[in-house]
Amino acid sequence: MIAFGGAIWELLSSDSTYASTMRFSTLLAFAAIGEWIAERAGTINISVEGMILTGAFTAALGSDLTGNVWVGLLFGVLGGFLVAYVQGTMSHRFGTNQFVVGLTLNVLAVGLTAFLDAQIEPKVGPAGILRIPGLASIPLIGPALFERTWIQYMLYPLIPLAWWAVYRTRWGLELRCVGENPQAGDVSGIDVSKRRRQGVFVCGLCAGLAGAYLTLGHTGSFTANGLNGRGFLALAAVIFGGWTLKGALGGALIFGFFQALSSVFQALGYKANAQLLTALPYVMALITMLVFAHRSRQPDALARPFVRGLT
Amino acid sequence: MSDTARPEPISAAASAASAASAAVRLEGITKRYGQVVACDGVDLALYAGRIHGVLGENGAGKSTLMKILIGLIQPDEGSISIRGERQAIADPLAAADLGIAMVHQHYSLVEPLTVWENVVLGEPVALNRAKACERVVAISERYGLGVDPLATVSRLTAGQRQRVEIIKCLRREPQIIVFDEPTSVLTPAESEQLFSVLRTVVVDEGRAVALVSHKLDEILHATDEVTIMRGGRVVDRLLTADATASSLAQSMVGRPVSLRSEAAALGLIETVAEIAHDDPTVESPEDKHARVVLDVRDATLNDADGRVLLDHLSISVRAGEIVGLAGVEGNGQRALADVLSSLVDLDSGSVLVAGTEVATSKPGALSAAGVGVIPEDRHDSGCVLDLSVAENLVLADLGGVSRRGMLDRKAIDERARDLMQAFEIQASSPHAPMRSLSGGNQQRVVLARELSAQPRVLVAAQPTRGLDVGAIEYMSARLRQAADDGVGVLLISTELEEVLTLSDRICVIHKGRIVGEMAQHETDIERLGLLMGGVNA
Amino acid sequence: MSAATGINGEITSSELNQQPAATPTAERRVRSTPSRWRQVVPTVLIYVVSIAVALALCALLVSTTGGSAMKVFSALLDGSLRSPGSWGITINTAAPLLAVAAGTIVAGKAGLSNIGQEGQVLLGAAATAFIATRLVASGPVVIIISLTAGAAVGGLWALLASVMKFSRKVPEVISTLLLYFIAIQITDFALTKRWLLASLSTDSRVNNGQPIKRNARLPGFELFGNTISWGAFVAIILTAVIGIALARTTTGFRLRMLGLNPRTARRAGVSAAKIGGAALVVSGATAGLAGSLWLTGGVPGDRFTSGMSSNLGWQGLLVALLARQRAALAIPMAFVFAALRTGSQFLSATGVDRRIADVVQAMLVLALLVGAALEMVQKRRAERMAAA
Repeated sequence: MIAFGGAIWELLSSDSTYASTMRFSTLLAFAAIGEWIAERAGTINISVEGMILTGAFTAALGSDLTGNVWVGLLFGVLGGFLVAYVQGTMSHRFGTNQFVVGLTLNVLAVGLTAFLDAQIEPKVGPAGILRIPGLASIPLIGPALFERTWIQYMLYPLIPLAWWAVYRTRWGLELRCVGENPQAGDVSGIDVSKRRRQGVFVCGLCAGLAGAYLTLGHTGSFTANGLNGRGFLALAAVIFGGWTLKGALGGALIFGFFQALSSVFQALGYKANAQLLTALPYVMALITMLVFAHRSRQPDALARPFVRGLT
Repeated sequence: MSDTARPEPISAAASAASAASAAVRLEGITKRYGQVVACDGVDLALYAGRIHGVLGENGAGKSTLMKILIGLIQPDEGSISIRGERQAIADPLAAADLGIAMVHQHYSLVEPLTVWENVVLGEPVALNRAKACERVVAISERYGLGVDPLATVSRLTAGQRQRVEIIKCLRREPQIIVFDEPTSVLTPAESEQLFSVLRTVVVDEGRAVALVSHKLDEILHATDEVTIMRGGRVVDRLLTADATASSLAQSMVGRPVSLRSEAAALGLIETVAEIAHDDPTVESPEDKHARVVLDVRDATLNDADGRVLLDHLSISVRAGEIVGLAGVEGNGQRALADVLSSLVDLDSGSVLVAGTEVATSKPGALSAAGVGVIPEDRHDSGCVLDLSVAENLVLADLGGVSRRGMLDRKAIDERARDLMQAFEIQASSPHAPMRSLSGGNQQRVVLARELSAQPRVLVAAQPTRGLDVGAIEYMSARLRQAADDGVGVLLISTELEEVLTLSDRICVIHKGRIVGEMAQHETDIERLGLLMGGVNA
Repeated sequence: MSAATGINGEITSSELNQQPAATPTAERRVRSTPSRWRQVVPTVLIYVVSIAVALALCALLVSTTGGSAMKVFSALLDGSLRSPGSWGITINTAAPLLAVAAGTIVAGKAGLSNIGQEGQVLLGAAATAFIATRLVASGPVVIIISLTAGAAVGGLWALLASVMKFSRKVPEVISTLLLYFIAIQITDFALTKRWLLASLSTDSRVNNGQPIKRNARLPGFELFGNTISWGAFVAIILTAVIGIALARTTTGFRLRMLGLNPRTARRAGVSAAKIGGAALVVSGATAGLAGSLWLTGGVPGDRFTSGMSSNLGWQGLLVALLARQRAALAIPMAFVFAALRTGSQFLSATGVDRRIADVVQAMLVLALLVGAALEMVQKRRAERMAAA
């Protein structure tokens, strides 16, 4: 028991715990913010995994082509947008079932990026670490939050920006309306399909950013199918968070922590079953949803296709 | 009296006005859906400063016409002129730009949002909470439509929601306003208030108002002139002052109509009340001793947000009687019907059918115990649109049409044909998809299915909503017949006329509990209205 | 999630044309009758064009990365149909795909979205491997028990998701998905432990299981030089039974009602938890069975390996979705997907990366989706013209 307590203490007091957690959580957070926006507008975006992966690859491509990390970042964001364009247009302009499109896009993304990676083998120059003096000296969480690759810092302003966009702008109001009661929105003169598409597009941008972060900031290289299902944890985070921004970010943090455990354990010299550690974030996602999904309220029109004239 | 074939304005005053100042002129509007003609060469003119009634039974085409005006539907033929200029109205946004607005019945408010958010929805300006709230308060004060801008819509009553709809409509300063069946969610007192708001809006501010309705009372009380539609065409046009209830009724329905026998369908509340007084169904001694077939005791139900839907509600129905549950929409009727359909489980309280308690948590338990339900929204829980008519007719009782687990197609067909004949259901065949049937026929399918199961209790929630006069009469007759056959009928309706005509006993529901009860022969409309509004009378 | 949100067979929204019954104003019925021929030709054309475009894009992809498109397509055909014995292999590959699809159809008709078949396949194969490497009994007994074990374990895995959904409202879309990732770890773990599945070999590089006993393999029969495993019949019979059950039995009727309108279904006595839950379990069981068929059917070899499921679950799911939840269509669709799989075996000889097959497959699916959407648009246009 004491040994266990000692282990927990060591875990919580080690720098690497926080640093690792932030690395994994940032990835999830970027994606979760995008997914939250898409789901508030009424789309369940199964292809978020494909978006992140595509963004990761295009970021590597961009970085390889120009040697410039900024360009790589841009390419990554565009990569995610590309997938989102197909998903959004097919789901909300052509009325295709969003699950079918999403699943297909995931398969396509995995296959295409792996194929192209084998052909092109882009070399990635990782982004540099930027240290914010003063803030980075805060014990434990300081380095985790303020001594990271500069891409991670993009998350900090993104959070209030997303919140402001959804809750304080007309665009955000229409977005929420379209996710709750698209008929009412239509009758009020809102272009429902357009707003829903835009929700998906924004998700693509954020997921592409997540992918760029994965390649340029987190790992420093592109691995075929290196995402391995972690994109879906972003989906779980939104559900766990009851479709609020705070909740989704909380989920990203928690699931990121559990992902970080395997590298943290190694750093601290603990031995733990490899498979258990890899499965842990998914298990925790299930458990947290079991506890919380029960009480949350999803947007009324979530995943329901909108058709005008059904009054 | 007016000739049903002549679609010309009658009075000189009207023709003089028509020459120049028509705010809206619809000419030759035609809309077809496949073989069905919803609107057939309709002409309509609305003038500033006047309230124009559009009268027609359900199915006459008035809703379609208004949807065309507001931009939700495109006409196949015909033209629309706004203030003398021809316009094409592509969508609701274009209609709003032209100064046309509609106060909808449903589907226009987003429940999780607040009042001010709903009011500014769709407005192409930056979001500013303070300004929006100011505006809401200003409008509500000007027209006497009190409502709190920060309240969440899901917590408002139906009457309050309508006020929000009106404020939302007026916010854009429209020149032309359409009210679609506005009093169906209001108490009689609220209706009066609405009419006075209309007067202010129209007369004081010179707007053109159209009032779409199937109720003669509304038309006679609130409008200056009226256009009558039937079967997609305009059949008459006259000043309200020149109209009488019977002339309107005859134009609307197309045949001589006895006001007394069809008063409920026509929406003539005072006539209905008269009938109830003069000619009540007197309770015979044996009625009093008929056994109680449905007994709801102390039912309590809260929704997921903790709001009270049913508040220790108790109501009972005897075999052979029709109990009418009157009340304004949103006071727990839906919850009660859902409980009796096994769709929702009670938090506390019990339901007894013929003396035996039935679990409300078990799907289909109440149906098996003999409780038939005609739900308020048949698409939601009454039928399955994607199945065929025959499948819909048998879906509650598969045991009777199957052998050893396998469906017997012939038996299903036979049962379907029998029922279709007995209930006069019009469909191309038993295999026609339910979707292809008209509203009235779909309602008959639901009725047929429920009655054919020989229920002990029949719960009819808004059974005649959306039906034309003929279908309404048929439904009412069937309900009466069911009661005569010994079924206990619980009629849940927001249409006071319907409740008054059919019920032996009337209960009033308000905020989830029964607040008053009276027998048919002692009905007092004023008292009913007060009870419905929550005033203890 | 309710029925309207799941993969319930709708590729495109079919409500795009307004029916008068939806607006309570019209009292008469609709009848629209364009001639049959004029209806079919543009539809076929749309699909042909979509598929051609998809294939052209793939060819472009291959060419620009230095390969030869013709060689690729030729290799795909060789691998799937042209070389000796390949028909048999393709059919045996189609069997597990079909099994997965059949179960997915059951869940889909009930309005539920199981997307974790890949995990259920994996665990089914693992369970079968466990039994088939240990049980000493006569051939038929071993086979029946190991197949049943596979189905049972797959079904149990889906039961987890089912319980989570019906008691705690966790959407089955996400729970089945997460369970897949957990299943991978479980099987990888099992491969490290001798008492579970690990190979008895002392070579530390080997990450496989033990070979299954000879009599645990599904027998096959020879036909024109192809070995067709009995697994194919199992799959076809399963699909037929499911198709008939859904269409003709009372339980099937109730299940379809649940998927179409859960509230009306509840009114009529259908318990979403019981019937929906059972449907989800069935879809897991068939996926588990698919894993068993895969392992014992001899195609991938004779032992359980890491990642054994090799996308059978995903592809079976897509088969069901593309077959619009119709059992009859699933059979040819499964064959097409199987052909792509077996065809890709021959790609290494062409020097083009094997994963191009995945790309081709996904592009074909997209082509079919775009085709379906365009078909809907064209139908709408035709109806509008007929009405005018």
